[in-house]
Amino acid sequence: MDLPIQMLVTAVAVPVFGAFLIPIAARVSVPVRNAFAVLLGLFTFFAAASLLKLVIGGQTATWTLAFPRGFDLILHADMLSVFMASVSAFVSAIILIYSLDYISHYENQTEYYAMVVLFLGSMMGLVFSANLLWMYVFWEMTGFASWRLVGFFRSDKDVAKANKTILVTVFGALCMLVGIIMVYFDHGTLDLRSLHGSAISMVAAGFILVGILSKSATLPFSTWLPDAGVAPSTVTSLLHAAVLVKIGVYAYARIFGVTFAAPEAFSSAVLYIAGASALVSAGAALIDTDIKRIIAYSTVSQIAFIFLGLASGNKTAFAGALLYILMHSIAKGGLFLCAGIIEQNTHTKDINKMGGLFSSMPVTGAAFALCSLSVMGIPPFGGFFSKFLVFSGAAQNGSLPVLLMFLVGAVMTLLYLVRLFYKIFLGEPAGHSSPKEGSVTMVASVMALALIGLALGALIYYPSAYAELLTNNLGVNLQ
Amino acid sequence: MNLILIPIILPIVSALALLLISERTRWLKELLAIAASIVSLLAAANLFLLPAQTLSYAWLGGGISFTLSTDTLSAFLLLAVSLFSAAISIYSFSSPNKGSAKWFFFNLLMTQAFAAGAALSDNMVAMLFFWEGLLVFLYTFIALSQETKAAKRTAMKAFLINAVTDLCLLTGVVITGYIAGTYSMSEISHNKLTLDYGWSVFAYVLLLIGAVSKAGAFPFHTWIPDAATDSSAPFMAYVPAAIDKLLGIYFLARASVYLFTLNGTMQLVLMTLGAVTILVAVMMAFVQKDYKRLLSYHAVSQTGYMILGIGTLNPIGIAGGLFHMINHATYKSCLFMTAGSVERQAGTGDLSKLGGLFRAMPITGLCFLIAAAAISGIAPLNGFFSKELIYKGTLDTGYTWFFIAAELGSFLTLASFLKLGHSVYFGKRPEGLKDTKEAPFSMLLPMMAFAGICVAFGFGARLPVQWFISPSLEALNLQHGLLFGFHADKLYFVSVIVILAAVLNHMLGLAAGGGKADKASDHIHYAPVLKETYALAERRVFDIYELAMDKVVPPVSYALFKADRFFDWAIDTVPSGVTGLLSGASSRFHNGSYPLYMALTLAGAAVYILLVGGFK
Repeated sequence: MDLPIQMLVTAVAVPVFGAFLIPIAARVSVPVRNAFAVLLGLFTFFAAASLLKLVIGGQTATWTLAFPRGFDLILHADMLSVFMASVSAFVSAIILIYSLDYISHYENQTEYYAMVVLFLGSMMGLVFSANLLWMYVFWEMTGFASWRLVGFFRSDKDVAKANKTILVTVFGALCMLVGIIMVYFDHGTLDLRSLHGSAISMVAAGFILVGILSKSATLPFSTWLPDAGVAPSTVTSLLHAAVLVKIGVYAYARIFGVTFAAPEAFSSAVLYIAGASALVSAGAALIDTDIKRIIAYSTVSQIAFIFLGLASGNKTAFAGALLYILMHSIAKGGLFLCAGIIEQNTHTKDINKMGGLFSSMPVTGAAFALCSLSVMGIPPFGGFFSKFLVFSGAAQNGSLPVLLMFLVGAVMTLLYLVRLFYKIFLGEPAGHSSPKEGSVTMVASVMALALIGLALGALIYYPSAYAELLTNNLGVNLQ
Repeated sequence: MNLILIPIILPIVSALALLLISERTRWLKELLAIAASIVSLLAAANLFLLPAQTLSYAWLGGGISFTLSTDTLSAFLLLAVSLFSAAISIYSFSSPNKGSAKWFFFNLLMTQAFAAGAALSDNMVAMLFFWEGLLVFLYTFIALSQETKAAKRTAMKAFLINAVTDLCLLTGVVITGYIAGTYSMSEISHNKLTLDYGWSVFAYVLLLIGAVSKAGAFPFHTWIPDAATDSSAPFMAYVPAAIDKLLGIYFLARASVYLFTLNGTMQLVLMTLGAVTILVAVMMAFVQKDYKRLLSYHAVSQTGYMILGIGTLNPIGIAGGLFHMINHATYKSCLFMTAGSVERQAGTGDLSKLGGLFRAMPITGLCFLIAAAAISGIAPLNGFFSKELIYKGTLDTGYTWFFIAAELGSFLTLASFLKLGHSVYFGKRPEGLKDTKEAPFSMLLPMMAFAGICVAFGFGARLPVQWFISPSLEALNLQHGLLFGFHADKLYFVSVIVILAAVLNHMLGLAAGGGKADKASDHIHYAPVLKETYALAERRVFDIYELAMDKVVPPVSYALFKADRFFDWAIDTVPSGVTGLLSGASSRFHNGSYPLYMALTLAGAAVYILLVGGFK
């Protein structure tokens, strides 16, 4: 086997199987277990990122494990899958490192680490799978891991939220399975490489879309995400908001962006659904008072912008959507980690009980502001470019109502983030005893994410060149 | 490094270096900022003298490149931006009340760099990048200038108003870019867009919103008077008085004559916007009781003249608009600086507590007199000439009403400066101000320089027109005739009448106000109808931001929140409801009755046979 193929296989196999070794490592000692988990995360990230060089050079890598009836397990590294794998493995690795301190106050840590790593492995499998059936298998594995993670605390309320999460996403996944079976009967294969450029029936596309929307927490299946964000620790809600919801987006890009030529009416329906989702969740983010719910609603709203880019049907928008995935993962990661620091030090999630925290937590406040600016799409942060390209693509798409919906959505993004920042960090202090700044590692990690957002803006040439190359090489039916 | 990058990169690098310097060092931060802005000014002057050059880098792909170009208009604007930055950084050397010096100069240099970038960008995306980037520093500038909660609130207001209109600009840019097939302004200008179809009208209107909001026109101006009370005088002299006006009017001119060919309707829209801005803001300015707040309303009102000038769409009016842009920045900056030094020396900006300061602060007073005469359009200062051009352009369009509105604005402008000057520099000096002294030299120097420019651009109006305005019109591809020269024509006599009327009004106001200069506007302030209107305006009933925040955002977001709750409810109850219904229905049939089971089986078999066989 060549080195790239080895890297490809290990990027999936190491975390998936490694997750089952974590309980054994836990038998040895807690530090060994923690180190092992972080190493698995880092290794996965480096394995995925090592493939970047290969795919930029215009090559791909494929590894196949034969199964009968065309159900082969095919792992395929192309520009899209490597991009997605690198971004999600990077954020997951940061989460694992941040968890070392954060999660050490709670019980069931072994299960936590095992599930995060299993999640990471299934995510890698899903991203690299070039067979729709195996994509579905890994999809359900991520669902299982997220179910355990949302129900990390065992109270009835948390378990109910966890059940809601898995019921909604599994319902969607089963619909998607129906769609996949229809594709199988229409084309006789589920190998995405040989399906490249073929047509898909409206009904099958609709079924697959239900799965995508439920996983990506888009209207009408959006509310499990804010609910899932409330019950468990911030770290798992970050895992959901920054990584898990991107699965649906990735599946959309993979299935309707670079494989099938989606029907015109289908794409415009997606645009309207996404627009409604952006507005409704932004409105909810303006009303809610729970810091993590607000950030989760913000995720729902921003995911809609990614869908806008993916479904607009032109290269500018598609490249913009890919950049959006990158920028949003980084910035939203920073916001959630800031929320984690704030929650741990103020012992509340209610923003009305905060206020005036900037004087006691200046670094967290600054990082929060920088990440918010990136989400708002204000230059010189990276978020500006992704927002600009997505809007530019929407203009090319030529639908005025859609453009207006997203303009209003962007305005509301400004409003709820400014409100959130103002309520937490400025405003009148509301009966708290000036909590301390977070620990050095925590503050450093949020500041790092904020500065990465800034650096991505300054060096936008490189990611945008990658996104453009990807769009040109792989895009189907884009103008 | 290419010369064109220096005005952008040098301030950024210096600003970042400033952050590393300890707050306790005494002169280092100030000197570094002054040095950086002066070197940038020299580079800008050099660029202005050199022939136009272009610099381009590959950037976002898809035909979006990072292109800077120094055509004559951009070079002129860059020179102006750099000049004001240098002047304000010198002025701020010993100005108190600007918050942390480190952050003040950081914001100043960053604003300078981004404004320079916006002025130089030929590509609209690059311009948008710099333009929107100013938002961050606008916020920190205001928020860090005072420790108060009000400063944070005003900063948020300024940020949100500008962020929303910048999003409009962004949308306008993407649509313009799509219609034109390119984001390069110089390429679009070869094949200008027309307002013949809906998308291009929409695009232009969005660009217009972005431009006039940056310039601070009605109804997007409401953060400026608030910032006058909640931030520092150097900030007011720098951003709302100079940089924002320069950029906003610059892009308004670019969009209105360089990118688009406008029609009569849009001309009327622009001129109306200009006239309304002039009158609304000057009415508010006239009754203010605070030095900076009064000036800030004038900063809004004067924008109206520029918009009116550009809205005429004829070369004379546009020349007037651009000339007024640079003149206004000069005298308004100067006026805010006098406000800053009076505040520093006398400790207050409240008109009722000031008076008779001319003796104590003769240089500040003199600069005030010159700048105030200039803004009031008194010949032969610079404001007179640019206003003349605007009046002439307005009359040429045939819409006399706008001319009358503009003259009415001039009348009220002069009236309010009579009141301001009288109550601060003349009359009786209050007891508490007996020991007031002149401001330090570093504050006087830029003030005197700007007052000097007001005089020089007035007496020698030929020079700036020849050097700056004519080449700018050429950069906009406009043909034009003679633009300068003093004529004792009808317009001149109208201006004399306006001056006499304003003086008369002031004396009337003094008589009515019991001789107190700060009450010289009360006869209009408390006139019937106006009194109620002013009372409403003081309560911010007409403030678009407060209106939106109070009346629009809460119900809309509440409705959307309810929609979200509906979907949540549906997700929670529909599945369990359906399941309950199905299981309830099926359990009713499982009642242990043998005949029922047989009947169901037979019925099922019948249906099956019909389906399989009968219908085929």
